[in-house]
Amino acid sequence: MTQKELHNERLAAEARQKELQFCTRRHFLKESAMGFGALALGSLLGSCGNNMGMTSPPAFDAAHPLAPRMPFFPAKARSVIYLHMAGAPSQLELFDYPELAKLNGQDCPPSLLEGKKFAFIRGVPKMLGPQANFKQHGNSGLWVSDYLPHFSSIVDDVSIIKSVTTDQFNHAPAQLLMHTGSARLGRPSIGSWVTYGLGTENQNLPGFVVLTSGGNNPDAGKSVWGSGFLPSVYQGVQCRSEGDPVLFINDPKGIDRDLRKASIDAINKVNQEQYKEFNDPEILSRISQYEMAYKMQISVPEVMNINDEPEYIREMYGAQPGKGSFANNVLLARKLVEKGVRFVQLFDWGWDSHGTGADTAVDIGLVNKCRQVDKAMTALILDLKQRGLLDETLVIWGGEFGRTPMQENRDGKEMPFKGRDHHAEAFSMWMAGGGVKGGTTYGETDEIGYSITSGKTDAFDIQATILNQLGFDHEKFTYEFQGRPFRLTDVGGKVMTDILV
Amino acid sequence: MLLTFLGRFHPVLVHLPIGILLIAAVFYVLSLREKYKATQQAVSIALLLGMLSAVASCVTGYLLSISGDYDTDMVSTHKWMGFAVAAVAIVAYFLHTRKSNAVKWVMGLMTMLLFITGHSGGSLTHGADYLTKSVSATVEKKERKPIANVQEAVLYTDVVQPILEEKCYSCHNAAKQKGGLRLDGAEWIGKGGKQGAVVVTGNAEESELIKRVLLPKQHEDHMPPKEKPQLTEKEVALLHWWINAGLSYDKKVKDLSPTEKIKPVLLSLQSAAPGAPKAKPQLPEDAVTKADAGAVEKLSDRGVVVLPVAQNSHYLMANFVTVQDLKAADMELLLPVKKQLVWLKLRNQPVNDAMLATIAQCKTITRLDLSNTKITDEGLAQLKQLPNLQTLHLVGTPVTAKGLLQLKDIKTLQDVYIYQSAVDKNSYATLKAAFPKATIDTGGYNVPTLTGDTTEYTRPRKSRTGCSRNRFRVHIYFTVTPAAFSIRLCNSKFFTNGFKSPDPGPNMASST
Repeated sequence: MTQKELHNERLAAEARQKELQFCTRRHFLKESAMGFGALALGSLLGSCGNNMGMTSPPAFDAAHPLAPRMPFFPAKARSVIYLHMAGAPSQLELFDYPELAKLNGQDCPPSLLEGKKFAFIRGVPKMLGPQANFKQHGNSGLWVSDYLPHFSSIVDDVSIIKSVTTDQFNHAPAQLLMHTGSARLGRPSIGSWVTYGLGTENQNLPGFVVLTSGGNNPDAGKSVWGSGFLPSVYQGVQCRSEGDPVLFINDPKGIDRDLRKASIDAINKVNQEQYKEFNDPEILSRISQYEMAYKMQISVPEVMNINDEPEYIREMYGAQPGKGSFANNVLLARKLVEKGVRFVQLFDWGWDSHGTGADTAVDIGLVNKCRQVDKAMTALILDLKQRGLLDETLVIWGGEFGRTPMQENRDGKEMPFKGRDHHAEAFSMWMAGGGVKGGTTYGETDEIGYSITSGKTDAFDIQATILNQLGFDHEKFTYEFQGRPFRLTDVGGKVMTDILV
Repeated sequence: MLLTFLGRFHPVLVHLPIGILLIAAVFYVLSLREKYKATQQAVSIALLLGMLSAVASCVTGYLLSISGDYDTDMVSTHKWMGFAVAAVAIVAYFLHTRKSNAVKWVMGLMTMLLFITGHSGGSLTHGADYLTKSVSATVEKKERKPIANVQEAVLYTDVVQPILEEKCYSCHNAAKQKGGLRLDGAEWIGKGGKQGAVVVTGNAEESELIKRVLLPKQHEDHMPPKEKPQLTEKEVALLHWWINAGLSYDKKVKDLSPTEKIKPVLLSLQSAAPGAPKAKPQLPEDAVTKADAGAVEKLSDRGVVVLPVAQNSHYLMANFVTVQDLKAADMELLLPVKKQLVWLKLRNQPVNDAMLATIAQCKTITRLDLSNTKITDEGLAQLKQLPNLQTLHLVGTPVTAKGLLQLKDIKTLQDVYIYQSAVDKNSYATLKAAFPKATIDTGGYNVPTLTGDTTEYTRPRKSRTGCSRNRFRVHIYFTVTPAAFSIRLCNSKFFTNGFKSPDPGPNMASST
């Protein structure tokens, strides 16, 4: 026996010894009692399960968590680009053309204030007419304001939902509700649900990419792209459009690609041993994440480089390489979707038009925010269309709530700039591509844009519709956690068939 | 009152004689055999109970029939049949206790009568076509046919009647008139029901039809009854407008000058808004066998993403997005699954004309993405053999109009993307003529850079807060809430409570 063999044998013996230490008398008693019980219970539960055939949720394959999986039914959309304007854009300046102008400057009638709570409005505020000019556009004649001169040229490709409502009037919970189906922390985001259900087609790239702009992350923090109780491999991967797309993506000095590969292989081997012992799927997730990170070191810088896009395309989006902007992110979103990324989530911060300063005034700051996104989002739709990708890519645009038809009077005082407070009751969103009927509006508000008169739509309805377009029945797409199946749409949600082709 | 109440028990009671008398017949037949002779005694008991319950059913049924909600012809058949069942059951019981030989004939007659009565009763409650309807349900329950041009549609026959037919006819038709009301024709709608008129021309708010529909679902008078399919908001809005627009039975939509409120609803009935993408059948209708697992695995090993399009389908989609160093031999891997392959993505791969020859053998392909590949006109000619092709991506390929024209015989073609291809701008018109049914997207869209895109606002923006739209109009709209229903004159809501009425003149207060 050589020295090395002897050494290995000693190591193995030590490992066995350690393993035995885990196994106490208590373990034996517990496991034998539980074991038989569990066997019986397992077969009992197995026989009365209601997961029949096609409706069963996809089985989680810990070794290949992101492997592409088939949907319940043939999907209209294969990818999603979700443009979230964090801070809540004013529907009254953009899409929802209300006859609010005639009330401008008058005191708000008590009927609108009774029993209502606002984030900042106190006492009796004044009504504030729309600051934009509205016109009908396209063959469909949808109303869009001159805040969005580019977007108004593509209304025939989008469906504007004017009757979205929420029950949260603060940013963080409202954003959580829009993206995770719960105003409280801990639920998986929609991108996580989608990658959990469908995996992703390009194994060299993450399935769920998050890009932020506007100088801040959304108020709800990174939990709006978190994986909640789903395995952590499904959380969104945040990339940057400025500097390295992912922090620390390059190998440090002195480590070359082969050495990196060797060390990852070694780490994975250890993890593999660990998994054999404890059977914890999170370990497999970790292994696959190491592997994905290694592949991403090559593929991500490649796809995240907008320099290789021709000048006229960058011009179309208004993208400028090297800057962290919404336009750059939108262009990246198109590139990612083209490469088979399943869900691209964009957040653009700075839409909270309270009127506390010029940058949040509905007639100054909001105009500038619109200018930052208008050209880029229009270019996105048109570029996807000419590449034949709009048919299979669902684009969603919206905020977390709307804004009041009353002018904000923080602390009951008149404010130096025109602003609007948070308004949960009614706001607008739009969707395009991925089987959405273009040139349509859905739902209506009263003539001052205050409450919904028809087609009430909540976050669950939006989520149900997104899942439906991807081939999921939102009522049957569940994940077992803490002893019960969870759904993205909880107990709500109806697919908005009226806006679908 | 009490009698009607008792009558309501008929639907419950009728099941007793049906079940009991049938089991009596079954036991009787069995008792003829030596082995089951013991059942003889059960026959008497069953016949006695069945006879009693049949009589009870007859009594309650008679009470129910005098309420008059049903078609008299059908009720009278059912009534006499019911009496006959009871009578025959009584005869059968006495014959059986006296061990008469005739009992077998009577039993046979009784069973036959039972079936007939049961069926006629079922027809009364569920409608005469109930049985056959369920058989052909898949065919009949197709969506309401979209209207090609809603402006040209006749409001009653194309819009209103289908709603009534779907949601109201089952209880208010020739055979069954709950509340004495028929809704299956102009004269009947005008005539109304037992409690008077259901529609008031030009006044939907006062029309019983609309009122009842808008009652809370729990309300006793709510229509349709809460266990039946309910009217959607849109359908209510359409009925509402139909009544307000004069209750016309023959006028076209455009002649009735639709209100702003109803326009979007009407538009949604149309097959598709202009410029909207067309709905296309996603998959071939024929079922297909499962793809060979070995062939699928070979593709997967090569890095091709290949999987069924859905959990209940064997049709496959394949995406070559992560394949490296594509070779001609890789295309051959598709051939074993050619019967299943419907969606194929080869975007950004060095696909050449020779490889297309292989692809052309996969005849079920409906979507083929060849964007940014090396194919030319010559290769494109092979695709003529794809009879089911619907979507073809040729973005960034060197194909020309001439090459595309070779495909003009593919009748199913719906979308062709030729952005950045070598197709000459001058030939767009020729292509359009050659593919009348397909959308050919030539791309090259431009989003012009406006001064606003690169500048920032620092001072408040001027705007005309006045509007081009009619400023002072009274809309009537309604909200349906679980608790209560209200019709509000909306403007009045805002201007009561000491709220000043706005100046209807042209010079509105401006916000700037």
